[in-house]
Amino acid sequence: MSTTSPRSSRRPFTPRALAAVAVCGALALAGCSAPGSGNTTQPKTKSASKISTDPSKAGKVTLSVWDQEVRGGQNAEITQLNKEFQAKYPNVTIKRTSKSFSDLKTTLKLALSGNNPPDVVEANQGYPDMVTFVKAGMLLPLDSYAKAYGWTKRYPATLLALNRVSSDASHFGEGKLYGLSQMGEYVGVYYNKTKLKKLGLTPPTSWSQFTADLAKIKAKGELPIQFGNLDKWPAIHTFGVIQAATAGKQEVRNLVFGTGSAKWTSAPTVQAAKTLQSWTTKGYFPSGVNGIGYDDANKQFAQGKGVFDITGTWEAATLKGPMGSSLGLMPTPPTSKGLATTGGESLAFSVTSKSKNPDVAAAYINFITNAHAADVMLKTGNLPAVPGKAASSLSSSSIEGQMVAGWQKISAADGLVPYLDYSTPTFYDTITAALQNLIGGKATPQQFTQTLQDDYSKFHQG
Amino acid sequence: MANRVRAAYRRRAPGEPRALGYLYIAPALVVFVAMVIVPLGQSVWYSLFSWDGLSVATWVGVGNYTALVSDPTLRGPFLHALVLLIFYSLLPILLGLLLAAAMSRVRVRGLTFFRTVLFLPQVLAMVVVAVTWRWIYAPGGLLNEALRLVGLDGLTHSWLGDFTLALPAIGVAGTWVGFGLCMVLFLAGVQTIPRERYEAARLDGAGPLQEFRAVTLPALRPQIAVAATLTIVAGLRNFDLIYLTTAGGPGNSTAVPAYEVYHRAFEIGQVGSAAAVGIGLTVLIFLLTVVVSRLVEGTQ
Amino acid sequence: MISSRLDRTLTYAVLVLFVVIALVPVLQIVSTALSSNEHAQPGLLLPDGLHWHNFVDAWQRGHFGTYLRSSVIVTVVVVVAAAVLSTMAAYAFGTMRFPGVSVLFYLFLLGLTVPEEALVIPLYYDFRGLGLTDTYWALILPQTAQSVAFGTYWMRTYFSRSSREITEAARIDGASTWSILWRVLVPSGRPAITTLVVITFMWTWNEFLLALVMVSSDARRTVPLGLAFFQGQHSSDVALLAAGAVLVALPVVIVYLAFQRRFIEGMLSGAVKE
Repeated sequence: MSTTSPRSSRRPFTPRALAAVAVCGALALAGCSAPGSGNTTQPKTKSASKISTDPSKAGKVTLSVWDQEVRGGQNAEITQLNKEFQAKYPNVTIKRTSKSFSDLKTTLKLALSGNNPPDVVEANQGYPDMVTFVKAGMLLPLDSYAKAYGWTKRYPATLLALNRVSSDASHFGEGKLYGLSQMGEYVGVYYNKTKLKKLGLTPPTSWSQFTADLAKIKAKGELPIQFGNLDKWPAIHTFGVIQAATAGKQEVRNLVFGTGSAKWTSAPTVQAAKTLQSWTTKGYFPSGVNGIGYDDANKQFAQGKGVFDITGTWEAATLKGPMGSSLGLMPTPPTSKGLATTGGESLAFSVTSKSKNPDVAAAYINFITNAHAADVMLKTGNLPAVPGKAASSLSSSSIEGQMVAGWQKISAADGLVPYLDYSTPTFYDTITAALQNLIGGKATPQQFTQTLQDDYSKFHQG
Repeated sequence: MANRVRAAYRRRAPGEPRALGYLYIAPALVVFVAMVIVPLGQSVWYSLFSWDGLSVATWVGVGNYTALVSDPTLRGPFLHALVLLIFYSLLPILLGLLLAAAMSRVRVRGLTFFRTVLFLPQVLAMVVVAVTWRWIYAPGGLLNEALRLVGLDGLTHSWLGDFTLALPAIGVAGTWVGFGLCMVLFLAGVQTIPRERYEAARLDGAGPLQEFRAVTLPALRPQIAVAATLTIVAGLRNFDLIYLTTAGGPGNSTAVPAYEVYHRAFEIGQVGSAAAVGIGLTVLIFLLTVVVSRLVEGTQ
Repeated sequence: MISSRLDRTLTYAVLVLFVVIALVPVLQIVSTALSSNEHAQPGLLLPDGLHWHNFVDAWQRGHFGTYLRSSVIVTVVVVVAAAVLSTMAAYAFGTMRFPGVSVLFYLFLLGLTVPEEALVIPLYYDFRGLGLTDTYWALILPQTAQSVAFGTYWMRTYFSRSSREITEAARIDGASTWSILWRVLVPSGRPAITTLVVITFMWTWNEFLLALVMVSSDARRTVPLGLAFFQGQHSSDVALLAAGAVLVALPVVIVYLAFQRRFIEGMLSGAVKE
C-alpha cells in the first residue's frame, strides 16, 4: 500500500457528524455475542488397523505441504523426495509452499485457523506453536500412524518426545505424537580452517580454550565470531550454547520443560547473559550485530570474515559451497560438566486436522523420514535425524562427516538441550526482544534474566 | 439493476428524481457498510474482550484501552508513531517549503520532469521500498559506503540494529517516500501565486526570507494542510515497512501501532488488545486530521 | 521581473539534488538487478554487464507468474467494481436531492478516515466464518469497499461541477437519469474517471496487510506478498531479490509514467478542499 493512500486520509469536513455516524456504526452491532463462541473440537482419530498405508489406492489426491526448507541443501533434499514420492504414486500431486522460518512462523497460525489449511505443515515444537495448535484442535494425533509405520522403532524416544503434547495440551514432551522431524539439528561452532591455521591456532577442544581463543583472535585483529541478529532469532542459539555451558544441560532442560523449580534468574543463567554481553562489548562479534541479517552474516563468514560462526547444522550445505575444505564444524566445545549444546530436531512435519487425506499425508511423512530419505538428506549435505547406512561411508574430514560424527558424539553423551523459545507460549517473542536488548546494551544481564523469569512465572502460575 | 432503475424513473416525472437516488447509492452502500462500517463496530466490540482468537473470549470492558496507557509495550508503539510523524510529516513539509521558497523566485523549465521524478517514490509498493532501504542501511550498504567515501568512518552504523537510530532510520525512509509529494503540492501552489505580490514585496525592500514569510507561506496554507493530512495518515499507518525491515526490533524500539495490530491479533493471540490498538489508531488519526483542519481554518 | 542568475542556479541545484535523492535508491535496485549474483551486493554499483537472466530466474523461482495472475484478477475486479459503484453513488450525491443525502455522504467520508488496521481483524474472522478466507473474495470485497469510499467522494466533486445545462438539455430530450449518467456525464468525465482508475489500481496492486492476513495458499498470493516471502528465502541472493523487486514495481511505474498527471492529481485530491 502506498504510504499516502487517501482511501483513508480524507480531511474530515464536520467532525461532529462523523463522530455521530461512528457511534451509529457501533450500535448497529446489537445482538453480538462474545467472540469465539463456536467451540473448538478435538479431531477424531482412527485406529491403526483402519489406516491405509498405500497412497496409490487413494485415488486422485492433491497434497498441500508447507515447509521451511528454503536453504540450498534442504531445498534440494525435499525437492528430490517430493519428486520421488510423486513418481511412486502418480495419483498424488504435491503442492509445495516453502517460506523462510520467520515467514512460516508468522503465517502458519493464520493458515491453520483458516478454511483451507494445508494437509501437511512443518510446525515448530514447544508452547508457542505446536502446543497452541494442538490446544486449538488444528493438528491430528499421529499415534496410530506411528504404530502402523513403526515410527517408534525408527526414531529414538527422546526425539519423538519433543513432538509429543499431553492430551490436555497443557505441556509437551510426553503424550500424543503430533509430528515427525526429518533432520537432527544442533548448534555447533563452524570454523574457518585457513584462518585458524594462519593465526597459529587449532580447533578448540574445550569451552575454556574456545573462550581464550576468542581473546587471542581479537588481539590479532581478526573478527572472532561472525554473527547477525537482525532476524531476532539467531541470538537464541548463541545464548543457548553459552547457557548450556554455564548452567549445564539438566538445568536448561528443567527450565524449558517446566520441571523442578529452576529459575531464569539463577546465577549460571545470569553468568551466560554476562558472557554474551561481554562478547559484544569486547568486539568478539561484528559491530552492530542487531542490524546484520542472519543470511548476510553467514555469507560474510563464507567470504572469510570471521574465524568462528556459531549456528546450526542447517547451514552446513550453504557454507560448504563457497568455503569448500576450509570449513570445519564441531559441537560446542565441552566444559568440565561435559558436552552440552542447543539442538534437537528440525520442525515437525504434522498433519492438519482438517486434511481430507490424512492417510496420504501420513504416508508422505513416512516417505520423507525413512531410511532412503535419510540417505538423500546426507547426500544433499543435511543431517538426518537417524543417519542411515550412507553415514558410515562419509569421510571424516568432509563437513558432512564432521557433522554426523558430532551428532553421534552428542547423542552418545546425551548432550542436547532444547531450544529456549519452547519454554512458554510467548517466550519466542520475549526472549528475542530481550536478547536484542541485552546485546545492544539496553538491558543489564540481571534485567534480561528478570524479563525472562517474569514471562516464565506468569505462564507457570497462570 | 438497470431495468429496475429505468422503471423506477419512468414512474416519476422527469426533473424530480428523488427516491431514485437511493437506488444509485444502494450497491455502493451495501458493500461499504458490510466491509467498513460493520467491521469497525465489530472491532470496537472485540476490543472489550480478552480473546486469544481460539477459545471463548472473556469480557474485560475498557481494560484493553487502559492498557494502551499503562502498559509500556503498548504505550511505546504510540510514542514511536508520534516520533515517526516528525520524519513522515514535518520533514517532508519543511523540505517542500524549502524548494517552494527557492522556486518562487524563478520560473522553472522542465517542471513536468522534476514533478514526475520527485513523485516516483510514492507509487512504489512498500515492499519494494523496504527491500531498497534494508540495503541502504546494511552494514556494508550504500549509506555506510558513502560515509566511508567521504572519510566519516566514525559515523558508520548498523542502522537498523541500533536502538536509538533504528526508529529515525525507518523515519528517513518515510521522508524519502513523502518529500516528493509535498514538493509537487507546493510547486503547484507556488506557481499560482500572482507575480505582482512578489514584486510588491520586493518594492517594499523585502529580502528572500521576508518574501517567503509574507507571500509564499500564507499562500501555500491550503497545500500545507493537504500535505500534513496525507503524510500524517501515512506515518501512522506504517505497517509494511516495519514488518519487512525490523519487525519491531531491536528490542521493541521500532514497534508501532499498525504493527502491533497484526502482531498481537495474528501472531501471539491477543486479539482484543490488537483491536483496541486498531481503534486507538483510528481515534488518533481522526483527532490529528481534525487538529490540522482546525489549525488551517483558524488562521485563515 | 528578472530573476537573478544566482536564483536560477540555486533553484536548479536544489531541484537536481532532490532528484538525485529520489532516484538513487531506485537506481540501486535496478543496477543490482542487472548485476551477476557474485558481483551484486547492497550498495550502488555499476552492474558488471547486463544479466537479464536474473529476471527470468526470479520469475521462475519466485513463482511471480502465479502471483501476477492473482494480482491482475484482484486488481481488475476491484478497479472496475469500485469505479462503477462509486460513479453511480456519486452521481446521486452530486445531482440529486433526497432525505438523508448528507448523512449518507458523511458515512462514506468516515470510511476515508478509518485505517485498514482497525478493520482487518473482524474482516478476517468474518470471512473465515463464511468460509471465504484464502479466496479472491477476501481481497476483492474489502478493497472495493475502501476504494468506493474514496471514489464516491472523488466522483461527487466531478458530478456537482458538471454542467447543469447539458443535463437539463438531455432531460428535455427525454433521456432518463440512467442514460444521462452513462451517455452524457460519464463520457465527458473521462479524465476524472481515469484518475480514479489509476489510483485504485495502484492501491490495490500495492496492498500488503490484507493479503498477508487473508491469503495463505501460493496460488492466490499477490505480488507484494510474493516479494516479501521471496525476500525471506533469498535475502542473500541480492541480484535475484532486486530483480524480483523490479518485477513487482514495474506495472505500477509504467501506469504512473503513462498517466502521471492523473496520478498526481488523484493522490493529492485525497485531502484537497472542495
